[in-house]
Amino acid sequence: MYRYDDLDRQMLTDRSNEFRLQAERRLSGDITEDQFKPLRLMNGLYLQLHAYMLRIAIPYGTLNTAQLRRLAWVASTYDKGYGHFTTRTNLQLHWIKLRDAPDILDSLAEVGLHAIQTSGNCIRNVTADPYAGATADEIDDPRVWAEVIRQWSTVHPEFSYLPRKFKIAVTAAEKDRAAIRSYDIGLHVRRTREGELSFEVLVGGGQGRTPYLAKTIREHLPAGRLLSYLDAILRVYNRQSRRDNIHKQRIKILVATLGVEEFTRRVEAEWALNDGADIDLPDTELARIRANFRPLAFEPQPAKSQAFEAAKAADAEFARFTRRNVHAHKVPGQTPGDATSEQMQVIADLADAYSQGEVRVNYTQNLVLPHVKLADVPAVYARLKEAGLATANIDLITDIIACPGLDYCTLANARAIPVAQAIARRFADPERAEAIGELPIKISGCINACGHHHLGAIGILGVDKKGEEYYQLSLGGSGGDDASLASILGPAVSANQTPDAIEALVETYLVHRQEGERFLDTVRRTGLQPFKEAVYVDAH
Amino acid sequence: MKVLTANSLETGEALFWNKGQWAVRFADGERFEGDEAAAPVLAQAEGQPTAVVAPYLIDVEEVEGHWVPIAFRERLRALGPSNHRQHGKQADGDADVEALVAATFVARSAGRVKLIKR
Amino acid sequence: MSTLIKLESDRAVLALDPFVYVPDEAEVPAGGDIIVSLSRLVSEGDALLGAGRRVGVRLQPSEAVEDLAYDLPRLAVVELAFAKFRDGRPYSSARVLRGRLNYRGELRAVGDVLREQALHMVRCGFDAFEPADGSTPDQWLAAAHRYRHVYQRAADDRQPIFVERDLNASGLGHNRPDEVGA
Repeated sequence: MYRYDDLDRQMLTDRSNEFRLQAERRLSGDITEDQFKPLRLMNGLYLQLHAYMLRIAIPYGTLNTAQLRRLAWVASTYDKGYGHFTTRTNLQLHWIKLRDAPDILDSLAEVGLHAIQTSGNCIRNVTADPYAGATADEIDDPRVWAEVIRQWSTVHPEFSYLPRKFKIAVTAAEKDRAAIRSYDIGLHVRRTREGELSFEVLVGGGQGRTPYLAKTIREHLPAGRLLSYLDAILRVYNRQSRRDNIHKQRIKILVATLGVEEFTRRVEAEWALNDGADIDLPDTELARIRANFRPLAFEPQPAKSQAFEAAKAADAEFARFTRRNVHAHKVPGQTPGDATSEQMQVIADLADAYSQGEVRVNYTQNLVLPHVKLADVPAVYARLKEAGLATANIDLITDIIACPGLDYCTLANARAIPVAQAIARRFADPERAEAIGELPIKISGCINACGHHHLGAIGILGVDKKGEEYYQLSLGGSGGDDASLASILGPAVSANQTPDAIEALVETYLVHRQEGERFLDTVRRTGLQPFKEAVYVDAH
Repeated sequence: MKVLTANSLETGEALFWNKGQWAVRFADGERFEGDEAAAPVLAQAEGQPTAVVAPYLIDVEEVEGHWVPIAFRERLRALGPSNHRQHGKQADGDADVEALVAATFVARSAGRVKLIKR
Repeated sequence: MSTLIKLESDRAVLALDPFVYVPDEAEVPAGGDIIVSLSRLVSEGDALLGAGRRVGVRLQPSEAVEDLAYDLPRLAVVELAFAKFRDGRPYSSARVLRGRLNYRGELRAVGDVLREQALHMVRCGFDAFEPADGSTPDQWLAAAHRYRHVYQRAADDRQPIFVERDLNASGLGHNRPDEVGA
């Protein structure tokens, strides 16, 4: 992973010093809340229901153990002893005081962590394939490019006051595990016929009120020209997007309004005019960044030591564990994405012992211990089980993704956590969950879709109907290569009815499924009708 | 009736106006007859930008002798998150908190859409 | 005359502003340096520019700096208005002016111009400022120099961090003193 040198760390310290000044100006009344708000957002600080929330960046979901231990320490020193891993591989702390924030940022800077641009109308944390650098099927390590983009976009003087937030994702294997089509810019690393690295550039994806899948605007961009091309896209967006209606200011709206062809024409025209030599990185700098992501030295192993390949052992629970996951996760009934400081320490210990000091966060709120040797898996499992982190349910029905929802967030219309917990408890029997198979449920507490409900095989959106929490169900979403947006099933159901409704959907799937079909596959084949009929009396 | 609320600038916690002071407990919030009656104190609160952020009025009703916010969001805000009952104002556990909990999590509606029984 | 902050190489000074902004509905005064809107420049520009006075233009965020290309060599000042400090269009306008349009005259930030955005404005090529928050030149300059390093090139002449790193490594650079702006 990228190692921050003195200069990189000085950026973090200068940033933290700047925020201390800005917070002081706000606390003394020198600047108004209106003037302060974008500044604190650009340092990851939201004002929510109960306190400030601090969103700490975990660039492309990769942490070293010193960083994870520091996060654990910050969580127990300044918060209530736990943190929340988000669907965009950041960490949120929900009980922060403004007056502590500068000290927290100082502490994070010491280990190369920060909260720079994790909110606000600027370029946010770049996400990449969670298995980058640990999977045999990648063309390149996408984290190299995520780091390139991170540096270029940090305190960018021209692009810090955009019409809206801006999110970029990079993937580099044939299979897109980063859901790039749901991003403002998605980048797919490929090789040309001549063997050169290039990007397929997609623009205009996004969830939220009006979900879109990104469209390809360029099939082949020579990799060395990435930054100047991004510069062109951002300039067209910054200059030409609407500024009069906050709901119409994501780049997806501009692409839809102009049409892909016209949008592409404008970007290409801008790119032809900008000075690539000033923007694109010299080969030496690309090589320097890339050198940080050198594949680690592995001892030769008899088989691939990756997450998806494992042998069964005599212990049925362990066998299930090896079938489903070799990484830490939450127990059904806990809050999706949450880990206590103690749990973070355990994972850091394991990562030091077994996974070369590295931990990953993926966009389904799970943690990954990459590079674990097959022979070490039993020992890892035993330790995880002790810490309550060994639930063998990755991608199963109990591996629910949920945003914090109305329990914490001022934007929410309904709570997401209790629904997730109720469903997980209903399906807690591990054998039953395994028999059902892959079934990602994603829950958002409002249309901002932080739970990525548009991309769930079952997506659940919390809504407020006359002051009561109701849940709108959608089926058939997927974030991967076969990206699709979920379709609404029918009228929203009450909180109490939701677990029953999910049962009805699951039973319908089990009745209709053909050999090898996941829930998603059956829905796509049969359409929604059998599922509607199972849930709604009036659907016949 | 109305209660005036805001978030503390320094700590971010929810606060409730009580005769010129800011109280941390919802139950200690001063009640006003309506928007007009509360307008002067709202203006006062808006004149305290270094103490609080974004003051506003919330609707409250009396339920079995205790005053509670009408909006579900404001009930959660007055209590704390439902997944960690030991966090936030609800940790006090006193009679006012219990009344608020009861009002917030009273039996949910049966729902307007009929399901097939399984 | 109003005052504004002007950047001169590495210093920031208060300067008297000889220019008067003439709103569209008002008559252009007989003499003196004036600043007019883009639409007035387009309709009366030749007359104004030929009258032996200095003329500047004020652009709103939605107006395109490319429309100035023809008149740019004869303009004494270009003002970019910040309608709201969080509307970042003027930053791009400034970059285009300084970059491909090669504008070398005074580039002024007016409107909702605040100290916390001084850094962005300076790096995008603004060299004159009408602060809306009473900032002094010292405060402005300090705010523009809070970061010892930058990650990307812009309209100023700061070298990106990787160039600095190379210079340090080859012994040609210097480690800047630990002064951070206030």
